[in-house]
Amino acid sequence: MKKKRHHIWKNIMIMAVVFLVASGSSIILQKTGVHEHITAIFIFAVFLTSILTDGYIYGIVSALVGTLAVNYAYTYPFYALDFRFQSNMISAVVMMAIAVLTGMLTTQVKTHEAIKVESEKERMRANLLRAVSHDIRTPLTTIYGASTTLLESGENYTKEQRIKILKGIQEDSDWLMRMVENLLSITRIDEGKIKIIKTPTVLDELIDSVMVKFHKRYPQQEVYLDLPEDIIIIPMDAILIEQVIFNLLENAVLHADGMTELILKVFVLGKQVVFEVSDNGCGIEKERLNGIFNGSYHLFEGRTASSDSKKHNSGIGLSVCQTIVKAHDGAITAENNPVGGAVFRFSLNIEEMKESE
Amino acid sequence: MNNKYKILLVEDEHNISTLIMTMLESSGYQVIQAGTCALAKTLFVSHCPDLVLLDLGLPDMDGMTFLEDVRKDSLTPIIVLSARTNEKDKVLALDAGANDYVTKPFGAAELLARIRSTLRNYSHSAESGKLPGGKFMVQDLEILYDARQVFVKGKEIKLTQTEYNIVALLSEHCGKMMTYSAIIKDVWGYPDEGSVKKLQVNMANIRKKFGVKPGEATYITNELGVGYRMNSD
Repeated sequence: MKKKRHHIWKNIMIMAVVFLVASGSSIILQKTGVHEHITAIFIFAVFLTSILTDGYIYGIVSALVGTLAVNYAYTYPFYALDFRFQSNMISAVVMMAIAVLTGMLTTQVKTHEAIKVESEKERMRANLLRAVSHDIRTPLTTIYGASTTLLESGENYTKEQRIKILKGIQEDSDWLMRMVENLLSITRIDEGKIKIIKTPTVLDELIDSVMVKFHKRYPQQEVYLDLPEDIIIIPMDAILIEQVIFNLLENAVLHADGMTELILKVFVLGKQVVFEVSDNGCGIEKERLNGIFNGSYHLFEGRTASSDSKKHNSGIGLSVCQTIVKAHDGAITAENNPVGGAVFRFSLNIEEMKESE
Repeated sequence: MNNKYKILLVEDEHNISTLIMTMLESSGYQVIQAGTCALAKTLFVSHCPDLVLLDLGLPDMDGMTFLEDVRKDSLTPIIVLSARTNEKDKVLALDAGANDYVTKPFGAAELLARIRSTLRNYSHSAESGKLPGGKFMVQDLEILYDARQVFVKGKEIKLTQTEYNIVALLSEHCGKMMTYSAIIKDVWGYPDEGSVKKLQVNMANIRKKFGVKPGEATYITNELGVGYRMNSD
């Protein structure tokens, strides 16, 4: 309701400003003794108003006002309404036609753009869904196959073999669990398009929580922490940012071949906190660098049919990172370290941004 | 005479409840199972279980109703089973009197550890209360309540009044997840706007003084958006 009124005021303001400028320049022209172009100036004003405002109404109103203004003030007879002169009637009709036609055109363009944005979103969603369904099938096959095998003919296997099969079930359900966490994170943002709820979070506790989860999942992988000494409080949805850091660390473990060092560095830069995950592994191929956060990396990899299902996680993992960071009004980047390895960086605002509404 | 601990499992998912029952029974617990809140209430009254495992999403009523109902006249420990993303539900359940929660999906080891620690904690506080003048010891953390002294690896740690109060409170409820609001109520009395921040800053200082690095969770576990737990082992 408030927003609508806000819009009306904005449109009226635009209309008023355009007309003030038009009237002003007309008066100047009149003073210099040039009358012929005043109608043209007002036609232009009507055109501008129609483009800049929403819908037809403002354009039509400005056409009416323009007609009257031109007729009254700027054409013979001056300062009197007179529709007897044909030329005055013609300019009135022209202005009306321009107002209606421009209004129609701009409305069309605007709806077209809205549809385009919507279909782009729809396409992303479909892509994600396709990627996810494809990825989920692999571990499900293992789990289903392994459990049926054990149930139907478990006694045919040695204890070691059974443990091996069970370990497969465990690993793949673990993978599924993390996939679901990622998907849940996205729905948490998409749900009803409500802005995410940020609560002040202590950096220390955030990193602590992530590292506990990460060590549980990858007990062998050491992470060097480089954190600021001061207590830093950042407004965020902690569960989601935790997911971002976890995904970036995991991405390094799964993809940075030959990595011997994994570093998580956090530092304050002006009013932002920068989180940096860097490794000294194989780096990222140039052609993948561009689309690495939109899941295209993932689709690319799917097509080259790598048999390792765990690697598939990266595409969705990184696009989840981007979705989350963007929802926090932050930025995320990926690049290769000139010394070798990859660097992923994302930043969050320390102070809550004040909304104008 | 049967002296096994009796656990009431309130869970409507058939597969999960079968699994949990198997896990518990093979660890020496006696299990009774209810798939609805209504049945759970009846079984609770007739069986007097030693502990309740409660899933919050039940078909007939919200598990919270059962929790509040039980807490009206009973201190029987309750562990809530909940999903990861619902910090709010966790806090609500803990503040309504749940003793702890386990996040789904969980492994057998985690669930059993939580049950052991809750049962131990419960019988502990029922028999000997807060152990005034006593000594608290977990891993290499030592607290002398009378002298208000805290030692880590035999070295005394200088804590402020508030910091000591927080550590002492957590140790008295060792093993239990304490929500921010529960700690604030105990340490500062009544909560005000910045009290969660105040608590978090104090905790950050405590961790620093204890010399704990992020990710180690040596003495105190922090659960983002929920609270803190002093680890019992």
